[in-house]
Amino acid sequence: MGSFNKAEQKAPVLFLIITVVVTAVATMATVTFAMGDKPPATASKVSLSPMSAAEPTQPQVKTFAKVANPEIPPLAPLGPPPIPADNPMSDAKVALGKLLYFDPRLGGDASISCATCHEPEQGWSFAEGISRGYPGTVHWRGSQPVLNSAYYNKLFAAGSTPSLESQAPSAARGGVAGNGENDIMEARLRLIPDYVNRFNDVFGEPWPTINNAWKAIAAFERTLVQRDTPLDKYLLGDKTALDDQQLRGKTLYEGKARCILCHNGAFTTNEKYYNIGVPRATRWEEDGLAQVTFRFEQYAKGATEEMYRNIKDDAGLYYRNKNKWSMGKFRVPSLRYTKYTAPFMRQGQFYTLEEVIDFYDRGGFDEEGRTTSFPETKTPLVQKLGLSDEEKEDLLTFIEALSGDEILMDKPKLPPYKPLFTRAELQAAQAAK
Amino acid sequence: MVAIVTTRQCFFAVTLGVSLAIAGQVVAAPEIGPLPVLKVNEARAELGKRLFFDKRVSGDVGISCATCHEPENGYANKDALSKGYPGNKHFRNAPGLINTAHKKVWMHDGRIGTNLNDVTREMITEDYIMNMDMRIMQERFKQDPLYVEMFKAAGLGEPSNGGVRKAIPEYLKTLTSRGASFDKGTMSASAKRGMKIFKGKAGCVACHNGPVFTDGKAYNTGVKENFDVWLDPQRHQAFIAYAAFMGIKNYMNLKRDPGAHLQKHAADGSDMGKFITPSLRELKYTAPYMHNGTSKTLADVVAFYNRGGDNDRNKNARIKPLKLGKAEQKDLVAFLLALSGEPLTSSKHVWQEAYPAEYPVIANWLNVPN
Ligand code: HEC
Ligand code: HEC
Ligand code: HEC
Ligand code: HEC
Repeated sequence: MGSFNKAEQKAPVLFLIITVVVTAVATMATVTFAMGDKPPATASKVSLSPMSAAEPTQPQVKTFAKVANPEIPPLAPLGPPPIPADNPMSDAKVALGKLLYFDPRLGGDASISCATCHEPEQGWSFAEGISRGYPGTVHWRGSQPVLNSAYYNKLFAAGSTPSLESQAPSAARGGVAGNGENDIMEARLRLIPDYVNRFNDVFGEPWPTINNAWKAIAAFERTLVQRDTPLDKYLLGDKTALDDQQLRGKTLYEGKARCILCHNGAFTTNEKYYNIGVPRATRWEEDGLAQVTFRFEQYAKGATEEMYRNIKDDAGLYYRNKNKWSMGKFRVPSLRYTKYTAPFMRQGQFYTLEEVIDFYDRGGFDEEGRTTSFPETKTPLVQKLGLSDEEKEDLLTFIEALSGDEILMDKPKLPPYKPLFTRAELQAAQAAK
Repeated sequence: MVAIVTTRQCFFAVTLGVSLAIAGQVVAAPEIGPLPVLKVNEARAELGKRLFFDKRVSGDVGISCATCHEPENGYANKDALSKGYPGNKHFRNAPGLINTAHKKVWMHDGRIGTNLNDVTREMITEDYIMNMDMRIMQERFKQDPLYVEMFKAAGLGEPSNGGVRKAIPEYLKTLTSRGASFDKGTMSASAKRGMKIFKGKAGCVACHNGPVFTDGKAYNTGVKENFDVWLDPQRHQAFIAYAAFMGIKNYMNLKRDPGAHLQKHAADGSDMGKFITPSLRELKYTAPYMHNGTSKTLADVVAFYNRGGDNDRNKNARIKPLKLGKAEQKDLVAFLLALSGEPLTSSKHVWQEAYPAEYPVIANWLNVPN
């Protein structure tokens, strides 16, 4: 129940008090990894930090192009998504998951559903740099597309969650996302007769339980995949699926433009974490509500008092492992379906794919020359590319070939609540008191 | 710390001494009488006042404490069953808050018996009441320059969750009855007759005693259920969430409010339907009555007691037909009304200034500490 779940969140405050005391006593002798920290002695050390240990060592552009490099999985047609053994698929489960995905009753004030921030018409994401939040809040990251999310091993921009089953509750419950508590959401499901029947049918339980709601949503999400892009068709043997320009773009992608170093394999991501130089979102300097959430997230993600006071950008992977060389590193996202998911990067720093390509061409700088707030962890894999305008255009057409047709879906009609007891039953209970 | 006196010190001996004099059937109950004086830290209370009326204390900024606890209704609500957090409704009547700082146990089921700091936390964080993640609330208030000033002036440092839970209880202390004719010694003849009945024949004082007119204990008085709790799924869902969390057995099938059963969970269910004796002050403003608002008027309440309550095998033995005549019932109502004072609806108790429509941006954000 809320009081307790949310009361637990008092912890950071206590912790804050303790850290204040500690820092006062130790005069900050202990933790000194705030922003201005020195980078490691050599750049190679950067890439040896735990989470990016497998970063390919600086390859020679010319040599890895088209050359079979065992470290770099080639582009490949996308297979079916993995299905976890403890959540097998069934039509009935997917149908239930679809209803729940669109049902705002799985959120605090029953006003927004998963679909509100992951709109089919907005690329199954939300078309603003920083996503809308729970009413009264704004989020602090961009909403990521749910479409194809079934292929990720780790979800969220910093990979904080291992499965769709565990992702859904953190989405539905997070204070700036769904802000719903399990007990009330579960109670709601139990007062919707159609859900009671469906949960019984799918999971064999007399009353819906919230964990099975997440399972059903995860099963639905596993049907939201796209495997018939022009690239898939091409790689499966239809040589007409990519035109000459797109093929030139593909060569650049796999060579001079270096994209393949990270956006590789069938899903176009190695799922590793890098700081590629994306600059800070300017919204935090301009919007009080966004500043509120920014600070909240530092608490919620367990930043130290010192970091809470000083940090001015999203530290990404750092929140997970608290290793300072993870500052500003983010999961490599898939480039599939990006035709429909603008804006791009974790806070939508870029509105168009053209801007993204220019950003990479400049070696990780935006057009005003801005780059990451954590320069000490920036990956050496992103470098000036020297692409001509034509080459940029070619690359763009190829990136677009990683998306097929737009996948849309009508919102389903949601089943209504119904009282569990009749007046006569209540009267009988009253009389028997 | 500036202490202000919140109750008048003009009390009259007439109200004292009488109570236990009417011996016989009445047990040794603490005397009814004037409320003690509470010391109030003015700066904190002022801060608490602003918080009490501020919708930013709730998750989706849709409601404030005052949405359910309305000043013009004695900080209770005209609805039999309270509103809830948007998306659901509540399954109980919102109690009036005047004199709540004088109590020792809170909520209709008495589940909170420590202090108002805990009650405040419960109200703010409970998913079917305000559903607020207090970490977000705290950051909201750091983004409001007036709060930053007020927290500091109240000696609470920068805006914090803990500070909110200190300031609101301080404000609640200022909600203390003032000017009831019972306290001023200006009761009508009818009310005086009513007081005699209250202490004597009707036996009300056995439970409704002390300056707040409550012994802080739980009894089953045979109040019938309000079926709307179950007939409206938006109420029933909050009830289910509550009952499940409280560990009530068979909560999906439950068709009655268990009340204080959650304190000891008597296996035979003999403690089902017990509720904490409420205060009887300020009833003039707080209709409807009982934990579920099933009594619309004080005349209804008195009629309820006069017939010995409604059916319930757990009903307390004291609740039995009283055989009061029409005039006696009227006198009893007059006495109950004499326990209500002036409304606390002026700016002394109500925050009347507008709240900022937006969170002002912190200028030079990059260069100032968070
Ligand atoms: C208020 C907006 C909001 C709501 C409501 C919301 N999300 Fe999200 N979702 C986001 C944002 C923002 C992110 C990115 C967060 C991050 O990276 O830290 C995200 C990320 C995700 C991801 C990760 C995708 C990836 O690439 O790793 C999935 C899956 C997801 N959401 C599913 C859901 C589901 C299922 C629901 C409903 C239970 C839901 N979301 C409700 C905003 C929302
Ligand atoms: C060193 C690894 C690396 C290389 C090389 C790389 N990327 Fe990325 N890419 C990333 C990471 C990490 C992100 C996410 C960064 C963030 O959100 O802050 C990203 C994000 C993107 C996005 C935004 C996707 C979205 O949904 O927001 C696009 C588009 C993109 N890259 C295209 C490219 C292209 C085109 C190339 C080649 C020119 C390239 N990338 C090279 C690691 C890399
Ligand atoms: C959505 C309606 C709602 C809101 C908002 C609300 N309350 Fe309540 N309040 C109630 C209800 C209903 C109860 C009785 C709950 C019970 O007995 O289970 C209650 C009980 C109380 C009590 C206990 C009174 C007593 O004498 O036992 C106090 C004190 C209180 N509320 C203060 C507050 C404060 C302070 C806030 C704002 C932080 C607040 N409430 C917000 C509905 C509300
Ligand atoms: C055995 C103890 C007991 C006795 C005796 C008793 N009461 Fe009560 N009274 C209670 C309890 C407990 C409640 C709360 C019941 C509920 O909420 O369901 C209550 C509720 C009330 C209320 C409603 C207050 C509100 O704010 O909702 C009034 C008025 C009241 N009593 C007046 C009286 C009068 C008048 C008498 C004498 C005729 C009396 N009581 C005798 C225990 C008692």
